[in-house]
Amino acid sequence: MEQHSDTFLDNASAALGNTAQAERRDVIAAFAPLIRSAAVEGFTEFDALRQHVKRVRQHSLDHLEYYLGQFEHEAVHNGNHVHFARDGDELNSLVLDICQQHDARHVAKGKSMVTEETGLNDFLQRAGLEVMETDLGEYIIQQAGETPSHIVAPALHKSAGEIRELFQAKHKLGDRELPETVDLVSEARQVLREHFLKAEVGIIGANALIAENGYSMLVTNEGNGDLCANLPRVLIVCTTIDRVLPLAQDATAMLRLLVRSATGQSQTCYTSFYSGPRRESDVDGPIETHFVLLDNKRSEILDSDYREMLECIRCGACLNHCPIYSAVGGHAYGWVYTGPMGSILTPLLTSLEQSHALPNACTSCGRCAEVCPADIPLPDLLRDLRHEENSKKLSAPRWRLGLKLHSWLTRHPPLYHALTSIVIPVLHWFGRKHGNFERLPLAAGWTSQRNFPAPEGKTFMQQYKAQQKRREQGKHER
Amino acid sequence: MNASARSEIFARLREITGEAPAERIQRERQALGSAPVPAPPAAELCQAFLTNVLKNKGTVDCVANRTEAVTAIGHHIYSHFRSHRLVAGNDPRLAAMPWRDAGVLPRFGSLEVGEPVALTFAQLGVVETGAIVTWTGKSNPAANNLLPEHHIVLVDTADLVSSMEHAWGRINLELEKTGRPRGINFIAGPSSTADIEGQLVYGAHGPRKWHVILMGDVPADALALARAAVPA
Repeated sequence: MEQHSDTFLDNASAALGNTAQAERRDVIAAFAPLIRSAAVEGFTEFDALRQHVKRVRQHSLDHLEYYLGQFEHEAVHNGNHVHFARDGDELNSLVLDICQQHDARHVAKGKSMVTEETGLNDFLQRAGLEVMETDLGEYIIQQAGETPSHIVAPALHKSAGEIRELFQAKHKLGDRELPETVDLVSEARQVLREHFLKAEVGIIGANALIAENGYSMLVTNEGNGDLCANLPRVLIVCTTIDRVLPLAQDATAMLRLLVRSATGQSQTCYTSFYSGPRRESDVDGPIETHFVLLDNKRSEILDSDYREMLECIRCGACLNHCPIYSAVGGHAYGWVYTGPMGSILTPLLTSLEQSHALPNACTSCGRCAEVCPADIPLPDLLRDLRHEENSKKLSAPRWRLGLKLHSWLTRHPPLYHALTSIVIPVLHWFGRKHGNFERLPLAAGWTSQRNFPAPEGKTFMQQYKAQQKRREQGKHER
Repeated sequence: MNASARSEIFARLREITGEAPAERIQRERQALGSAPVPAPPAAELCQAFLTNVLKNKGTVDCVANRTEAVTAIGHHIYSHFRSHRLVAGNDPRLAAMPWRDAGVLPRFGSLEVGEPVALTFAQLGVVETGAIVTWTGKSNPAANNLLPEHHIVLVDTADLVSSMEHAWGRINLELEKTGRPRGINFIAGPSSTADIEGQLVYGAHGPRKWHVILMGDVPADALALARAAVPA
């Protein structure tokens, strides 16, 4: 997928200017956290589960070579072809080769962020294949020529009215008006059902790979991924090497976290485990199945201080709880992964040079880390990336100068206290009339949007010391 | 297979994670134990399962035996489709049911275009999530679970398991006995989507209605208590 992360600030300003979309984002930002917290509150051992799954994920990553090998062995035993791809181009070529070997013309695709990452659709379409996204949200944005704005609900930025107009333009509707949401869903169901029945190849992602038995796990509510996995005669599962878990019960333990965090359910409508091609006695199912396992910098991340990021289970909770994501939406991030997890993954999977604005899209409020079911210290990783940005001199020179001065000053506490005890009373005196400032030198970034409150007169340390002194005196008097 | 990509990836991983004997790795995993399981909505298994099925927006029915089951299935089809036809997989347990007593006309095989109802005899019912489990095979075409307008699922009370861990315990026994089925499906509700403005709609691709019939020794008040716990 083409990347536009370098213009994050401009993208964000444009997004804030679109009032209708901003209002829809506000509504989603209000209800999505409520759905999650209702599901989590009903499960008193949620945090214990989170810690258990984290230990299992850490263990799997610590022995990734072993478990990946075990998975490959079992998957081959189950009758699959297992392929490895170092980068997105290799994955795309492998998939195209398989399609061409089967003279395929039509591909039905389930939701897969990995193939968004590699730009598989464009690649296959350039080779003359008709590729149809079958998740309703993905289908809508594919028809609109857009990219996902959310990893779980990719078309949430569009209104029902916009989707109706899209279908009117793209489908042969005759005089049907599709007044209700349910009519829009039925329309897409009909169009996609025909496509499922004529597709020769189905492509799906995987939420987990199970080393002990070679099954992959697929989680959906629509059931579209299952139609992709069962109806076409060839099935290709595209995912990354870091998705391997030791045991089947580890996959369903992770599922408990994933579904509650993503949609507030206890289990999605369809949780499916696929092991390979149709068996001799089977009445349906694909005759040939492939796994394409992508590295694309996952091994680099494994070898870095950002290893914990590989434990991300793609639930979208950090997006739903991020004040920046809620304000500017997913498209501003300019690539596949958005919100806090995207602001870490994008620099790691592309380059910090192209995307160093993203780790700055953070208020350090910490909500993402609080709700992250994989217990990833997202704000810490974002801070580390900002630190790297600074050391690589990617940020503006005056920012770096400001940071340098600030850090020097904070490392000299007496000087810091002396300076603040001069500045604070002066600001207090100037601001005594209005209680705040409309303009301040060196703080235009703040005051261009809102007033700066005038200090109360004493610095924090002065007030703290005074309070300690009062307490001491109070003790003596008692 | 792209052999160089494979060997390069494995070599890099070995370099990063180092090598350890398989027994030690397996011992380490064993030491981590099992995950905590959420408490069921009721202590009694049938009631808890029915409650969770209702939460998943399924509809439910309870019957004592196979005769009652065919009657309940006949009622359901007739009330929705004014018909007595349905499609069911070649499951010997279904073939042996007294269909004629209820005037139901099952066709055994895979669902075809234009057939609105399919019946599945579940292998398991998972109390924890209100899901039913089926696996593909001669007696269970995948199309019957995924393509009908209405999906009716029969669950024997003897096949209820409390958690997903217990479900795997039962599935793993089966895998040892008959080999690994191509697909294992946990189904927990009608096909749904909230992709348009977050509004929940049923029948996204698969069944619009999901009707679960629990057959066997179900306590008399289980269904009423489950209904009371889940506001419609």
